[in-house]
Amino acid sequence: MGWVMKMQIRFAGIGGQGVILAGVILGEAAAIEGLNVLQTQDYGSASRGGHSIADVIISKEPIYDFMVTKADVLVALAQLGYDSTKEELKEDGLLIVDTDLVKPDREHIGAPFTRLAEESTGLALTVNMVALGYLIAKTGVVRKESAEEAIKRRVPKGTEEINIKAFRVGYKEGLR
Amino acid sequence: MYLKSAYEIRNKYLRKDMLPTIFCPGCGIGSALQYTLRAIDDLKLNPDEIVWVSGIGCSSRVPGFVNFDGLHTTHGRALAFATGIKLANPDLKIIAFMGDGDAAAIGGNHFIHAIRRNLDVTVILINNFTYGMTGGQVAPTALKGLKGTTAPYGQFENPFDIAQLAVAAGANYVARWSVFNYLQGINSIKKALQKEGFSLVEFLSPCPVSFGRRNRMKTAPELLRWYQKITVPLAKAKKMPPEELEGKIVIGEFADRDRPGLAREYEEYKKRAKKMMGWEG
Amino acid sequence: MKYPFPVGRSDFIQGDEAIARAAILAGCRFYAGYPITPASEIFEAMALYMPLVDGVSIQMEDEIGSIATIIGASWAGAKAMTATSGPGFSLMQENLGYAVMTETPIVVVDVQRGGPSTGQPTLGAQGDVMQSIWGTHGDHSLIVLTPATVQEAFDMTIKAFNLAEKYRTPVVLLTDAEIAHMRERVYTPNPEDIEIIYRKLPANKEEARYPFGDIHGDMIPPMPVFGKGYRTYVTGLTHDEKGRPKTVDAEVHERLIRRIIDKLEKNKEDIVTYETFDLEDAEIAIISYGIVARSAIRAVRLLRREGIKAGLLKLNTIWPFDFDMIGNIAEQVRKIYVPEMNLGQLYHLVREGADGKAEVELIPKIGGEIHTPMDIIERIKRGV
Repeated sequence: MGWVMKMQIRFAGIGGQGVILAGVILGEAAAIEGLNVLQTQDYGSASRGGHSIADVIISKEPIYDFMVTKADVLVALAQLGYDSTKEELKEDGLLIVDTDLVKPDREHIGAPFTRLAEESTGLALTVNMVALGYLIAKTGVVRKESAEEAIKRRVPKGTEEINIKAFRVGYKEGLR
Repeated sequence: MYLKSAYEIRNKYLRKDMLPTIFCPGCGIGSALQYTLRAIDDLKLNPDEIVWVSGIGCSSRVPGFVNFDGLHTTHGRALAFATGIKLANPDLKIIAFMGDGDAAAIGGNHFIHAIRRNLDVTVILINNFTYGMTGGQVAPTALKGLKGTTAPYGQFENPFDIAQLAVAAGANYVARWSVFNYLQGINSIKKALQKEGFSLVEFLSPCPVSFGRRNRMKTAPELLRWYQKITVPLAKAKKMPPEELEGKIVIGEFADRDRPGLAREYEEYKKRAKKMMGWEG
Repeated sequence: MKYPFPVGRSDFIQGDEAIARAAILAGCRFYAGYPITPASEIFEAMALYMPLVDGVSIQMEDEIGSIATIIGASWAGAKAMTATSGPGFSLMQENLGYAVMTETPIVVVDVQRGGPSTGQPTLGAQGDVMQSIWGTHGDHSLIVLTPATVQEAFDMTIKAFNLAEKYRTPVVLLTDAEIAHMRERVYTPNPEDIEIIYRKLPANKEEARYPFGDIHGDMIPPMPVFGKGYRTYVTGLTHDEKGRPKTVDAEVHERLIRRIIDKLEKNKEDIVTYETFDLEDAEIAIISYGIVARSAIRAVRLLRREGIKAGLLKLNTIWPFDFDMIGNIAEQVRKIYVPEMNLGQLYHLVREGADGKAEVELIPKIGGEIHTPMDIIERIKRGV
């Protein structure tokens, strides 16, 4: 899937899935490539368990938006996240889901991201990196190398390797 | 101790163009100021390295009369301003002149937190049980039954014991005297000025015009005699049963310890931060 | 000088983080604060960075103490800042006035959220416009800057310090929860490429005798630093050129207050900045600031596509206020729209500037949502 001027991407899940970090890393990767980028988030006051949304807008033009209004891509990692924001996905938008955890009522692609995370790194919480890898493989919105550089910059020191491993698992799955 | 004449002290440390002071006849602030200047003189401290800070009230006008750097701030906030001065330039020594309302009412929170942090400052606290400048309202230190324009039938609330509050909050040095105890007062200020961290010297100080007049003590001598009656030296107080101390004010030195001051603690904190981050600067 | 964050490159950071980094690059070495949503991230970044650059970061007992502390630090020679949101900003008004009266350079960041009172802690708003300008009592003036992007939050923080130092005045950086928490690409220049202004110091003891005197004819007295032997006395009471209290002399009071106001009013050309979009031939003007200006830009572009001659004035400084510029725009256009995330604040200043030469209409929005471009477009189309 190619893109021309501007892409609006929304990650939706529940607190604790690292949804916002996935958005931040995608944004950082875009910034590394010199693209204009904006990232905002929305979450309930609960630190764990509530819905969690991260918006990323990437553009070759200046960005005046401050949130995703109509998403080109929605990445849903939990049913609660999907339900709370499915209306914001464009009709011809791309829906990517964790196929074990989200049962969408429309056309979609995806993989069992959480299961892949557990199998590859032993840590379910690397699901955000698996999903990010999948998204980038499917859309080409940023380059794989930029994303890996962004992961190195943004994840806690000492966890770079495991996060990149999870990212590559997702990326490979996306290329299939 | 060799006592220089008051004239000599005045000549050396006051701003002549700011005189006369605003203080009423019989006011005790001038005495507390004189003791402070004598302590500075005796210790041969460099006036260029001292900043006087104050809030609002009669006693807070003191920094205007002394020839030092001075910051006359907002009501109750002197110690918060002092925190900024001290941490921005730890080489400066800070003296805060405060009143009872300034320190224990509107500035109570800044006061206890400055002590908790062990901010390096010497507080000279004028306790006259009243808001003198605004015309004799009751202060949070006013003993039960004392009259003020806002408690014309006698104070019905309990008073704060500021010195004990300071001890409990962790001050390095705390003493209380009446302005009548001039030698003890000067000695305490000298000790306080040499302390790292927070030091407090509280003075019971006559305010005949706003306070005494409403409490059947129209002159300073009457107030001083009253102080003698209601004050009990610490050593004696220790032997007295609590019921006998009811309505009395204990005077003496309540704390004398050497915990590290805020400025030094922050220097250590910076070193720790740099070490933790592997930072060479 | 080594910095605890990358310089000379672009980074993807939040508005709050951008403000903290810019402050340190502007020379700020003293931060005092009190935790509050949505400004806490500024404090947390300062707490992380300050000890590494030999600066101070301290958590005070409340916001009154925070601003008092940075004023003290400023008189001890430090460039100093605090940051807060509406509830804390209300508490700071007392000493914001003290900073005006004593001509103390400080920077106060107000990250606006929905109010009054505790209101909507996590949602953006523009409800503090009037408070930022007129919140403290008495006649006065100060500078208020309003960023619309994370890059602007960065750039305007540096500008805030420069203006504070140059004019010996408090400067308010008025931003909001949205900009504070959004991440955008921000270019951090190399420190040697950043213009940094430091306060004017007294050249000698004679100059230091007049810490509040217009001795250079520019209305800005040199500011002595404590501890240099100048024996400066600073008071919030009305004072003469030497700093001596003169509380009942009408002439002294008027001379002092007029100078404090005039030193900003008469330097508007230097202080006030703005941007225009398609305003040259516009028949309809939108006047906007802060986060809402982003939607206003898109609204103008979309209206132009439909043949409606709209233009935008985006204010980066909302005080001092350039009433004459608004008057000129009012002469050119048929109508002025003011979209604000409040029920009308800057609107009143615009109306005063327009002075009846053009109709001025408010497009208000409260509750935490920002105007979309369509909100603005629909309202304008209704009037066409």
